[in-house]
Amino acid sequence: MSDATVDDADATGRTERLGDRLRAELEALDAARVGVYAALFALTAFYLTPIESGLVSAFKTNPAGISSTLPFAPPPLRFFTLEKWRTAITALGRGMVNSALYAVPATIVSALLGSFAAYGLTQADWRARYKAPVLAMLVAGIFIPYQAVLVPLSQFWGAIPLRQLLTPLWVLGVPSAYTGIVELTITHVAYGIPICMVLFRSYYRNLSEEMVEAARLDGATFRRVYRRIVFPVSTPMFAVVLIYQFTQIWNDLLFALILVSTESSPAAPVVLILAGLGESMEGQDFALRMAGAFVAALPTLIVYIMFGEEFADGVAT
Amino acid sequence: MREFLSTARSRLRRAAGRDAGSDGDAERADGDGDSALATDGGTAEAGADVAPAGGTDGLLDRLDDRFGEDFTESAPFWLPPFLLVGLFVYGAIAWNFVISLTEYKGFVGPDYSDLDLDMYVRAVGDSAVIDATVNTFVLVVAFTIVALVIGMLLAILVDQKIRFENTFRTIYLLPMSLSFVVTAQFWLWMYNFNNGVVNIALGAFGIGPVDWIGNPQIVLWAVVFALVWQFSGYTMVVYLAGLRAIPTEHYEAAKVDGASTAKMYWRVIVPQLKGSTISAAIVLMVFALKAFDFLYSLVSGYRPPNGADILATKMVREAYSTNNWAYASAIAIVLFLMALSIIGPYLYYEYDKGNL
Amino acid sequence: MAQLELDAVRKVFTDDDGSDIVAVDDVTVDIEDGEFLVLVGPSGCGKSTTLRMVAGLETASGGDIRLGGRSIVGQKPQDRDIAMVFQSYALYPHMTSRENMSFGLEESTDMTDEEIDERVQNAAELLDIPELLDRKPAELSGGQQQRVALGRAIVRDPEVFLMDEPLSNLDAKLRSQMRTELQRIQEDLDTTTVYVTHDQTEAMTMGDRIAVLDGGELQQAGTPLECYHRPANRFVAGFIGEPSMNFFDATVRGDRLVADRFEYGLREAAVNDVAGAEGVTLGIRPEDVEVTPGTEPADDNEFATVVDVVEPMGNENAVYLGFGADPTDPFVATVGGMRRVEAGQRVIARFPPDAIHLFDATTGEALHSRSLEDADPAEPRI
Repeated sequence: MSDATVDDADATGRTERLGDRLRAELEALDAARVGVYAALFALTAFYLTPIESGLVSAFKTNPAGISSTLPFAPPPLRFFTLEKWRTAITALGRGMVNSALYAVPATIVSALLGSFAAYGLTQADWRARYKAPVLAMLVAGIFIPYQAVLVPLSQFWGAIPLRQLLTPLWVLGVPSAYTGIVELTITHVAYGIPICMVLFRSYYRNLSEEMVEAARLDGATFRRVYRRIVFPVSTPMFAVVLIYQFTQIWNDLLFALILVSTESSPAAPVVLILAGLGESMEGQDFALRMAGAFVAALPTLIVYIMFGEEFADGVAT
Repeated sequence: MREFLSTARSRLRRAAGRDAGSDGDAERADGDGDSALATDGGTAEAGADVAPAGGTDGLLDRLDDRFGEDFTESAPFWLPPFLLVGLFVYGAIAWNFVISLTEYKGFVGPDYSDLDLDMYVRAVGDSAVIDATVNTFVLVVAFTIVALVIGMLLAILVDQKIRFENTFRTIYLLPMSLSFVVTAQFWLWMYNFNNGVVNIALGAFGIGPVDWIGNPQIVLWAVVFALVWQFSGYTMVVYLAGLRAIPTEHYEAAKVDGASTAKMYWRVIVPQLKGSTISAAIVLMVFALKAFDFLYSLVSGYRPPNGADILATKMVREAYSTNNWAYASAIAIVLFLMALSIIGPYLYYEYDKGNL
Repeated sequence: MAQLELDAVRKVFTDDDGSDIVAVDDVTVDIEDGEFLVLVGPSGCGKSTTLRMVAGLETASGGDIRLGGRSIVGQKPQDRDIAMVFQSYALYPHMTSRENMSFGLEESTDMTDEEIDERVQNAAELLDIPELLDRKPAELSGGQQQRVALGRAIVRDPEVFLMDEPLSNLDAKLRSQMRTELQRIQEDLDTTTVYVTHDQTEAMTMGDRIAVLDGGELQQAGTPLECYHRPANRFVAGFIGEPSMNFFDATVRGDRLVADRFEYGLREAAVNDVAGAEGVTLGIRPEDVEVTPGTEPADDNEFATVVDVVEPMGNENAVYLGFGADPTDPFVATVGGMRRVEAGQRVIARFPPDAIHLFDATTGEALHSRSLEDADPAEPRI
């Protein structure tokens, strides 16, 4: 076992302290350690199998490679192909750009607004009696099922003459289907504010009260305290919120489906294209689907692997 | 130190005065913007807060007296996000409710002159809605409970001062970072009748093959299993934070008292995780209610596999596939009430603890 | 100039259940320009709340606060021209010491960068920290952070310094060092200062005057020695001085005090002072109790006692004495550190008549204080 030395050192220490009586118990403990690691590795297999199986399948030819090899075995050379990846990247490339076009601004704006709201609701001194309902409505906003707002949302965006308002863009040669991207951005900002607010709020509540009071006494207005003290101090929390929010917005399908509606639209986000990828009259092309899934997941996977700690902090709050 | 006193002090006063003035201006400007927004959305809570519109400094002071001293000064921070959420979330829910009272369908806009509860009557009599409600309930409850149990076991395992703790944790949480659309692809392949890992693994024990997606008796449980795979890592992280917050003395005290490891966890540690359980359960239930993305992606369409139709999919199908807008709105209200019955008590519980 | 006046200042908090809690009750105290006033009292006495009302961090529920004759009650904290040093220092973690100290000037004045820089440099030299200016708070020790926090207040050159237990996070040695240094700086700058502490040693050594608070009410405001030698009431007498004054409940019988365990003969001055009072409390400071070997009291100011416990403190010994042969409910006397006193020893304790204090048993108000003419001319021991 890889941690044998650690356990041995540990064991010596304890034996010295507690006497030989514990020796038997310690051996049992070692057996327990073996059990713990066995369980951990089994679970690792459980969590990684779907991903691993998808990854190897994405390199196989369809249908021959897919149907004649084990789903989790790497492709033998004669069934190996990169063609599915090429197809997936071609199909999803424009979707990746579209997704980034709304996911990035929506993430930044919702994080900023969430931080504003949290600051105005934690560090400002106004009556709890009035503050509580505002807070409750913002917090409850996290838990609203999107279905409850979909029909009005379609009506709302249908009634707003966004396409006319954005005429300069179309003149510049942007396809007018990109109104959908603008709608998605604003919608995601609005529905992202509650969770961002709650994440920032837990952070701002633990800020030193004296520090903020000191800044007020130093002559800074409420706004300047945010700009010069609270905002710079909350950089770590911004990392957490931005990462979490980006994953959520990038991954969301429902709003994209409602507001952009067809995967053939030039403004179709990557999730929308992926949901219909590899469907054809002849049946499903699983190799293509898997390759597509990885391509679509790539940005969030990169973010996750690079900033796993922040992501974990985000979900734990 | 004293000679620069007088000049500095007078400058200071001037600066302070100017600051206060510009503050007031900014707030009035904000107030104007808000009132425009509020008439737009017509939401009640917005109306109450836009009083600064066209107000004087005296009015601002009176507002501060009424609501607390930083009220107007902090309003530029919390009011715009609040109004945005108020409009998009609560305004939309109210509007949705009104639409559900109309007969709106097809491509002609809703007629708001004739409001009744017809759509709710129709929903109560629609066996598809009843089935979807039952399925939603089963999905939410089964998924939440299983994910909580698995997550707690994971957390306890990971909390055993193991090596490579970060690596294990990262792996278990990995599915959570993926989109429902992506995980649906993976599980579609896992559950594939001929070549899926699940059937091949079970085949090794002489079981199956099972048609996981095609069998209406099984498909919901297959979905639950996939969702547990995706979100038990989340539960683990929440429980891990809860476990880490328990002082080591409690473990040591239980050990000294002679409790076995299992007994120690069951009687000393698990009861202290009540707070973690509640917050994790709430979030899991909400994920379950949003399982639409997963089911849509499984079939690349509005109609999920037989036996896996939930209110979320039913609602979207009614609205965007068959254009029964009013009916879809009514179903959405039912779904909303289900969510409310979960989060209402939760918010009250948080309020009671002084967290709101 | 900057005379600070608190005039019947009140603070009432409303509890969750709607009941009112009076945190500060009609506190009136004038602080002269350049004066160092220490607000002292047990925790929860309202001293911090009082200070925060002066700062504008709490709104006064009643009364008036005037700075240089001008009421500042309605003003925002940033408009009051005060600087505050916090218990936790409250330094901005993302800024260097220099930026921390410049912040207030940047926010509240339109001084040029050069002027600000010069002021920061001057303050840093005054505090002996120029070499720390480019470090962030996390890289500083507690004592250094304390100095930066002081510097942040000093550069503002405010009308009033407010300090909320600024030394309580330092270890004992550093604390006494900073105590001296703070006094030196305050004398140099000659800025009106209000200093909150629960530590009566700090109160005695630092303040020009001290204001003793208890239960939200001002008990006494006066110089440290006034409060020590002429306490206005039993609370002040017991709070100031370490070890605390000994108290004995007694009744007045003519020129005698009758207590549970002893009778005490009063001098004429004291008899006049307690005229009309029935129940009184006799108070005597431990250092005033004279302890001599022996078993036979010579007069009615001496008592036969037995030593219960001796706590040696080096320079002196605290001796716990019980009346007669009974060691329960002992009182304290301090004797020189070189004297040998042992537990169980029988000794005579004398309460010199000119050293006793008498308080009204019900109101606690002082009726008679020790006479100072024939007191030991040496500085009182604290």
